Amino acid sequence: MMNCTRRGFVKLTGGVAALGLVSAPSISLAAAKMRVVVVGGGYGGSVAAKYIRMADPNIQVTLIEQNKDYYSGPLSNWVIAGFRKLEVQKWGYEGLKKHGVEVVIDQVTGIDPATKSVSTAGGKKFEYDRLILSPGIGFKALEGYDDEAVKKMPHAWIAGEQTTLLTKQLQELKDGDPFVLVAPPDPYRCPPGPYERASLVAHYLKKNKPKSKVIILDPKDKFSKMGLFISGWKNLYGYETDKSLIEWIPGAQGGKVTRVDAKTMTVYTDMAEYKSSCINVIPANKAGVVAEKAGLTDDKGFCPINFETFESTKQKNIHVIGDASAAVGLPKSGYAANSEAKVCAAAVVNLLTGKPVGIPSYVNTCYSLISPDYGISVAGVYKLNGGKIVEVSGGVSSDKAQDFVRKQEALYNESWYQSIMADTFG
Amino acid sequence: MQRKRIHMLVLAGGLLGGLALAAPVMAADAPAAPAAAAAPAAAAPTSAEAEKAAKEAAIAAAIAAPPADAAMLANTCAGCHGTNGVSAGPSMPSIAGMPAPYLKHVMAEFKSGKRPSTIMGRIAKGYTEEETSRIADFLSKAKWQNVASHANSQLATKVDDARAKKGKKLVDTQKCGKCHEDDGLTQDEDTPRMAGQWVDYLLIKMQDFKNQHLTVPQPEKMQKAIDKLSPQELEDIAHFYASKR
Repeated sequence: MMNCTRRGFVKLTGGVAALGLVSAPSISLAAAKMRVVVVGGGYGGSVAAKYIRMADPNIQVTLIEQNKDYYSGPLSNWVIAGFRKLEVQKWGYEGLKKHGVEVVIDQVTGIDPATKSVSTAGGKKFEYDRLILSPGIGFKALEGYDDEAVKKMPHAWIAGEQTTLLTKQLQELKDGDPFVLVAPPDPYRCPPGPYERASLVAHYLKKNKPKSKVIILDPKDKFSKMGLFISGWKNLYGYETDKSLIEWIPGAQGGKVTRVDAKTMTVYTDMAEYKSSCINVIPANKAGVVAEKAGLTDDKGFCPINFETFESTKQKNIHVIGDASAAVGLPKSGYAANSEAKVCAAAVVNLLTGKPVGIPSYVNTCYSLISPDYGISVAGVYKLNGGKIVEVSGGVSSDKAQDFVRKQEALYNESWYQSIMADTFG
Repeated sequence: MQRKRIHMLVLAGGLLGGLALAAPVMAADAPAAPAAAAAPAAAAPTSAEAEKAAKEAAIAAAIAAPPADAAMLANTCAGCHGTNGVSAGPSMPSIAGMPAPYLKHVMAEFKSGKRPSTIMGRIAKGYTEEETSRIADFLSKAKWQNVASHANSQLATKVDDARAKKGKKLVDTQKCGKCHEDDGLTQDEDTPRMAGQWVDYLLIKMQDFKNQHLTVPQPEKMQKAIDKLSPQELEDIAHFYASKR
């Protein structure tokens, strides 16, 4: 590994200086070259790495990511429902390299705030001036949901292999058996995601297994874009009729799952048990394990941060963005992670170059499909004021929107995806 | 920070002055209980009303707070419109390098509701005139790039050469080039560039022009041309402009 220690850097820049840049100020500038290490190359980390380089190419940025390929969560419900291929959900890191980001495929095993360094399973050590963590999510314990159960009752809440498992289970489901979806409690990654999944699975069942239905077991009594989902379900899937393709059991009616048994393919609530060959269990979320191990999480399992810089309130010089952060007021969405990454990137550049931290601005935009040509959205513009992230404008699609609007929003969904992926990896 | 908080309280106080002094404002921090306890019985707002008023005051104060810089504001657009406004999604317009007055004008129309939209109205309302102006200036300085589809994008419509040819004839007879000069390659303060734009985006806009449920604000000359042309012909024109690079 080159270029990862300060000494290596001084040597390298010293060499450059010897060629022509001999004046004292340029040498001291070069010697002071700042290093940022980013851990996690998804919607948060990749964007932070890219935008730091775009803002200040003098800062050295190393991105450490454990997987060579990235599979995106957004649009992975389309894959499960059979109208999109997983291979077009796959993205790589070549684009970031073009921005001068050093990309390292390795697993982080330790973070030492005292020496400001990160060590990896590959035996490497990376020193940083500022560390940005964007580790995504982990799952809280659920009785019976062990490593073996994860394979038999996939969460498919981290896309890739898990998406394939659930897709296969749905394809093999016997007509008449239910698709059981265990929804997580708040807060969790992608708030409308479980309900988009239920919608698109119902779309698949309508065509392929009309005797089956989706049963959503939910610890909550309300959910994101609820009014729009329910009216969409009524329009398309006979919701609240005898032939409904979707049944939603809220917490108040015993929807909370307390235990699962992968051997018998059963999930248990306080009131009943549900069996099927196809059970999608999304346990309660928490911050990704890297952040947890570094002691950055609070009692709720996420990382408290300063909303101006996303610097951890528990550890100096370490920033946390994306689903792992407790950015109270922002949803845990890909777009919010993108927005947080840009606020964090600008703050980190300013902090490293001795400038005042700027004023943040955040946006969220998130589309969901209820069927392939029925799209809905939520948007929000946020400002920081009085120490709080305040939504100054936004909301969901109109509940009275005509069919052509739903169709346009379905088209915008895929276009949103292409643009945000280009912003992330391009 | 301290100064901002005072500012917020003053503003909130101003808005709520007629209601019940500071108690509802405090409710923003600790909802329901303290407000109910502190408020006098007679003209006391319900805790739900107090919460709503406090929320509205917090929003008004946040809107009035100083704006972020241009890059910070404009970079939030990139999630849909691509890095520096170069869109990678076939239904999302590229806005890189568009004239600032045009962008400001369109944003103002989204904000007022004069221009119909699925989502932009909700977003445009989140920005003050000053903030919109900063965004527009930033994006107007970005470099236009003709759109290009990523290998992972499967929904982009390809330009149909035959339709583009028909479109070219229509453009000539309708004299579109009087405003959309050089086959849509050039632009001025009022006229967006169309050459090299996504054909899907242009098609959606053309369909909107003919949608009986929508009124898309247009200059008089443009409206006359739209009225004269059939939906089919407008789509041919979309193919023509998208084909130009």
